[in-house]
Formats: sequence, C-alpha cells, structure tokens
Amino acid sequence: MNGNKMRTFVEIIYNCPFILLVIFTSIVFVLFFDGEGNRKEEPGIAALQLITEEVKAGTGEENASKKNEIVLKREHDTKEQDKEQPGKDGDQGEETIQNAGARKEKDGKIENSQERETDTRKKESAEKQADTETRATKFVEYTPIPTDSRYYSDAGKVALTTTYDYTLENESYFNDAAFLGDSRTLGISDYAGLEGADFFCDNGMTIYKLFEDDGVTYQKTGEKVDLKEILQEKRYGKIYIMLGMNELGYGDTPMYLKQYLKVIKQIKEWQPGVIIYVMANLHVSQEKNNMETEFNNININDKNVASARLANGRDVFYLDCNPLFTDEEGYLQAELTFDGVHLYAQHYDKWRDFLFAHGVACEEIQQTEESGQTKSPSDAGESGDSVNSDDSLDS
Amino acid sequence: MLFSSVGFLFRFLPIFIIIYLTFPKYRNIVLLIGSLIFYGVGEPYFVLLLLLSVAMNYGFSRYMFWEPRSPQSNRKRKAARRRKRALVLAVTLDLFILFVFKYWDFAAGSVNALAGNRFLPLLSLALPLGISFYTFQMLSYLIDCYQGTIEKRADLVSFATYVCMFPQLIAGPIVRYGEVADRMESRRVRIRDLENGLKLFALGLGLKVLLANQIGTLWNLIMTAGAGRLHPLVAWLGAFAYSFQIYFDFWGYSVMAMGLGKMLGFSIPRNFDHPYTSRSLSEFWRRWHMTLGSWFKEYVYIPLGGSRKGNGRTVCNLFVVWALTGLWHGAAWNFVLWGIVFFLLLSLEKRTYGKSLERSLVTGHIYTVLLIPVTWVIFAIPDMGQLAAYLGNMAGYHRGEILVGVPQFVRYLKEYGLLLIACVTFATPLPTKLYWKWKDRWFTVLILLGIFWWSVREIVLGSNNPFLYFRF
Repeated sequence: MNGNKMRTFVEIIYNCPFILLVIFTSIVFVLFFDGEGNRKEEPGIAALQLITEEVKAGTGEENASKKNEIVLKREHDTKEQDKEQPGKDGDQGEETIQNAGARKEKDGKIENSQERETDTRKKESAEKQADTETRATKFVEYTPIPTDSRYYSDAGKVALTTTYDYTLENESYFNDAAFLGDSRTLGISDYAGLEGADFFCDNGMTIYKLFEDDGVTYQKTGEKVDLKEILQEKRYGKIYIMLGMNELGYGDTPMYLKQYLKVIKQIKEWQPGVIIYVMANLHVSQEKNNMETEFNNININDKNVASARLANGRDVFYLDCNPLFTDEEGYLQAELTFDGVHLYAQHYDKWRDFLFAHGVACEEIQQTEESGQTKSPSDAGESGDSVNSDDSLDS
Repeated sequence: MLFSSVGFLFRFLPIFIIIYLTFPKYRNIVLLIGSLIFYGVGEPYFVLLLLLSVAMNYGFSRYMFWEPRSPQSNRKRKAARRRKRALVLAVTLDLFILFVFKYWDFAAGSVNALAGNRFLPLLSLALPLGISFYTFQMLSYLIDCYQGTIEKRADLVSFATYVCMFPQLIAGPIVRYGEVADRMESRRVRIRDLENGLKLFALGLGLKVLLANQIGTLWNLIMTAGAGRLHPLVAWLGAFAYSFQIYFDFWGYSVMAMGLGKMLGFSIPRNFDHPYTSRSLSEFWRRWHMTLGSWFKEYVYIPLGGSRKGNGRTVCNLFVVWALTGLWHGAAWNFVLWGIVFFLLLSLEKRTYGKSLERSLVTGHIYTVLLIPVTWVIFAIPDMGQLAAYLGNMAGYHRGEILVGVPQFVRYLKEYGLLLIACVTFATPLPTKLYWKWKDRWFTVLILLGIFWWSVREIVLGSNNPFLYFRF
C-alpha cells in the first residue's frame, strides 16, 4: 500500500513539473515582494533608501528629515493662516513658502513641542523675508481640495510664467540651447523643428535619473550619453528642463523639488552664466485625468508649482505652456491629443512659437549673474533657509 | 478582473483552483460562484444584469418545452407555437438589453445628427463587460434548443455555469452548449490537464503581455504623433503594428481561456488558426475569431438562406452578416464601415478572384498581408477625419509637410525591429507546431516558466494595457 502511494506521488510530481516550478517560484516571489506586487514596489524601496540615507546623514550635524518635516509643518500653518485671513495678498504670502506640497498628516513621523517652537520662529523669519522680497514668478490661488495620496497634495495655486521682459527670438536663439526632458520633450525634438538645439531626452526620464550613469539619449546621434560629462565639456547658453510626469508616482513633491534644486545647482556650477528655463509639465486630458491614481492634473500642478519656486527672474525662468493647450478647467484639449498626454505632432509649432516669444537677452544675464553670485550660492533657496540646509547636506 | 493582473494570477486563480479541486461533487456551483466573483470584482452592479439575463433566458428555455395538460389533438401545434413565441421573446429581449447598453447612444446620436436637433436623449451608460459575448452565447443556446440540436438541455446551475464560466465570460470564445454539455454533467480533472492547461495559459499570457502590449506601444507612438502628416512608411508600420497588437491580444486571450478551460476539465474550442497566413480574406475569416464567424454563419447567414437562394439573395445575406459583424464589434460608424469593407471585398472574392487566390502560392499571401492592415486601421480609428487622414498617409497623401518621416521610421525600426521579427514569427504556424511537438520536454517547461515570469514582471512594472476585445 505504502509503496503504491509513494509511486503515485512520484508520478504526480513527474507529471506536472511546470505547475511545481510555478508554485515554487511564486513562493519565492511572495517572500521577496509584498502582496500587492504593483509597480510602486521599486520606487517605494528607492524612496525608503533615500529617507534612511537622510536620517543617517542627519544624525551628524543637522537632522535633515526633521528639518524637512518642520518646513512642511510650517507650510501647513501658513496655509491655515491664509485661510483665516482671506484679505491677505495671495501672491505675497505665498512667497514665504519654500517647500511645496504639504505631506499628509499621518505621514509625519515626529511632532513634538520642540519642533513647534523652532517652527514658529522659522515662520516668523520667513515671513519677514517675504515682506522684503518680491519674486518674479506669480501664483494664482484657489481653494485646494483634500487629497489622499502619498505622492502629492493639492498645491492650492497655479504658477504663472515668470514675469520678465522677454524678447522675441528666432531659431538661431536655440543654437546654444539644450533641452532635458521626457517623452514630451522628445516630441519637441521630433516635431518643433528646432534643429540647432541639443536634445537629451528619453521616454520615462525623471529628474532623479537625469545625471545617472545609464545616460540619456542624445537625439542628434540616437546614442546614450552621460549628461554629466556633456554639461561639463560643452558650454550652453540656455538649458530647458521639463521633467515631472514620470515622477507623479515616485516619492513626493518635496522630494521632487529637492532633486530639481540639486539638478539646477549642479547645472549652474558646470555652466556658469547659463539661463535655465524650468518648463511646466503639460496637463493631461480630462479622459486621462484619474483622481483615483496619482495620474492627474492636481498632482502635475503640484509638481509645477514646486518647480516654479525655483525661478528667480534673473537666470532661472518658469515657462507655463499650459494656457496654449488646455481648456478653462485646465484639461489638455481632447482634440489636440491621441493618448491624453502627448500633443499631436502638428501642434508643436505652437509650442515652438511660445519658446521663441520667451527669449532672454544674453548681456543682461551676464550682469545679473555677477550680482546673483555674490548674493547666494543658490538663488532659488535664498528666501528661506530650509532648502539651503538641505543643499549643504547634499553637497 | 483581468487575466493579466497580479490579483488574478496570484490570488483568484490559485485559491479558486484549490477549492475547485477540493469539492469535486460541487464543481458547477463552485465554478459559478467563482465566476460571479471574478466578474463582480470589476463590475459590481452589472453582475446583477448578468444574473438577470441568465435567469430570463433560462426561463424562456424552460417555457419553450413546457407542456401543460391539453387535449391530444392540438398539443403538437400548440407546442410548436409556444416554442416559437419563447424564442422570439427571448431574442427580442436579449437584443433589446444589448441595444440599450451598447447601441442606444450611437443610434440616438446618429438620429439627432440627421435630424439636426436633440430630440433623443443620450444615456451615457457604461458598457457591461463582455455583454456582447455572453448575450451571443445565450442566444446560441436558445436557438439550439429551438432547433432541437441539443440532446440534453441544461438545468439552471449548468446553464448559469455555462454562460458565466470565467475563462470565456468576458471575451469569448463563444462556446456552444453542445460542445460542453457532457462536461457539464461530470468532468474529471487529471493532473496532466492542470499541467497542460497552465502551460497553455502561460503561453497565452506571453502572447498578450510580451507581444501584443509591447507592439501596441509602437502603434500608440505613431498615433500620438497624429495622423495627417505621416510618411507612408511610418503609416504602414503603424498599421502592421496595430494588426499584430490586436491579433496577439485576442489570440493570447483565447489561448489563456483554452488553458484555463483545460485546467477546469473543459475543452474550450480554439478561436484562431494563424489567420495572417491566409491567402484570401474569406480564408482569413475562417481562421480569425472562428467562434464568432461560425455564430453568424449558423444563426444569421444560413437561416436567411445562405447562398442557396440565388445570387441576389446571397449578396443581400452577406451584407446583413457583415453589417452586423461590424456593429457587433462596436457602436460607431467606423465599425460599420469596417464591416461593409469586408462585405465588399468578400463579395468580390466570392464572385471573381477568390478561388484563384487561394490556389496561388504567393499572390494570395501578399494580397492578405497588404489588405488586412488597411482594414484594421479602419477598425482602430473611430474619428472619420482622422481615419481619412491616416488612410491618406498610407496612400502617400499628406496635408502639409511630413512631420514623422524617414528618420523616425529608422528609429522605430531600430527600437522595434526584434519585436517585429518575433511578431512575424508568431504569426506563422511554426511556434505552435514546435510547441505541440515539444510541450513535454524539460526545455519547453523552462522556456514557459521564463515567459510566465517575464510577463509577470511586465505586468508588475505597469506597462500593461487591458484587452482590446473587452470593449466589444
């Protein structure tokens, strides 16, 4: 009897190697990934690593993550204050805020009284600074809606193109220009007809991957190049950056802003005197807009508002192309797009004309450049110390 | 729930199979409940519509053979009349439900456009998943009952299980009751069936995730640039890409359904027989979505008289069948146009060159390979302006200068060349032949395991899109 049973058992195993292999590998899979098994996996791990790195670094001189928390808290408070004082001038008030996108309350780890003290002190100093300074990028406020996402929150405002006396240029303006971006920039490369400019872009490119060793595709040759090397070797007059779409479901907005700032600082270091255009990410169509995921215009706007804070009106400019292509509600117009994300090829000339219309005269930059450098290592971070402190940590 | 989702692969399927095997006596009811859960996860409200439809159709099928006490003399006549009444009522109601959910907005919109005002309201109803498939399956049961071709009719649970069983509920194949009747009564699941079924499933998953989804990105890329100013090479490349996408998408789904069916102890009929290697469009339709083709043949074309009532009538019948086939695929004018194009080409083939094409060695293949992508483009683009622009691009006509030209074409080829070669290979019968020859060899098992996990990786990374055929 026993022998028989044994034999049937062996037979069964012999008869279904595939099932057994699938089951075995599935168990391995379950052990190494969480039950969801969705794509948040890898970014999640990466984000976690980043946070732990921060915490490790912070134990030395300053606690970075704590600081970050403080800034976020401060913004939260400022927002509440704004609500209490509806008469307050929105544009001015917003200038104080350095870090975009308040993180959700439950995500905040530590909230003790000590922090609140420093918090209020910081808020005061920031507000003082804001009084004395007017920034070139204006924001239009609206009432934010509550969001429930670990990736973003409603910024409650929309950033406008940096106010500046732009000049109307032609194609030659782009002969010393570089574009860094994702699939949308690839569209500009392909269809806007800016032959002189260098395009470094890939589908799925992110602000985090930009300077990685894997490289970015240089569209003139179609080869992957190391952007770090290129930017150190070749001198550009202007650099256009448009990144943020592939970051919608990765990390959160403060993390995005921090990385963006890092990238801009790095570029300025390699390319002294360069004009940097921070380009707004184009919104998506109503059909594509999905409030149940992180793929929606609130999130895109959150990223855009964050990146707009980096503009200073001297050598960093924020360009918002959205008004060209969106309807009154801010959705990308359905007839301009197939997939709700990318423009049809024939509409890129509008975008090109928009870029033509936003030239910055070069001599001016040389001047402001000098004054700018004496003022602060990072123009973007000058009105608050939070981002600066993060920088010192990074460098 | 999608077959190609982590939830299905690692939660629903293993749990369901274990329960299914544990209670061999209650297989139908377990399968029915499992299928309703499968459907209900995605469509929590429409599952009620599904149940209602099933109950209604089962009621009519019973009514068809209900025999009240009555004098012997006119019993037969009355029974015949009752049968007819039941069938007509059931068909009308089924088609009515289908019409309301799937075609109302299209019909009302078209009428409004013709009339120039809005006197018919639009309902904007969501399309219940798989409604075209399960409605047709129930209709086939009723018609078979009416015609008396079913030996043993189903009881309620068998009928509900037959309609709802999850392998084929939402995207076919359209199984006829006669094909599964025996297995409905009792079925054995041998370990070999599980093994072979899972292998088939993995193969289908690979076709869907690794071929269809990937090549679909090329079509999307080209459509993203927009029809109108494409170089003919690019336009044709896009048309081929879409042709491959829709084929591997649907074939992959059907293979997965076959595999799952096998695992449950059924044998679900195959739906595709390498259609792209056909030598004429008539042959193509004998090999593409075979269960739908035979449905229309059995239940529309032949009852209308088929080709036995003279040439005029034959053309008329063909027209009806193809207009309906077009409409079945979607409620939009491009689908109607698509059906009519097939009607024209197939009539032409039937009357003139069809036979010689099928005898030819090369011409027939070139003919199909060039025409099929054109028909799929009509199928793919609902907007008439865009469709005209795209077809114009394929013919070498474009408005304004070309925006997507040879450089992009070369780039696409570089990027998708290998995938295109894989697609062409899998469109030939070679891979399936090799599979059936070597399916029990250890290296096949390892390759399939690789395909399975590679597919899972793609699913998890999120470069996944739902089945094209779910929309219909």
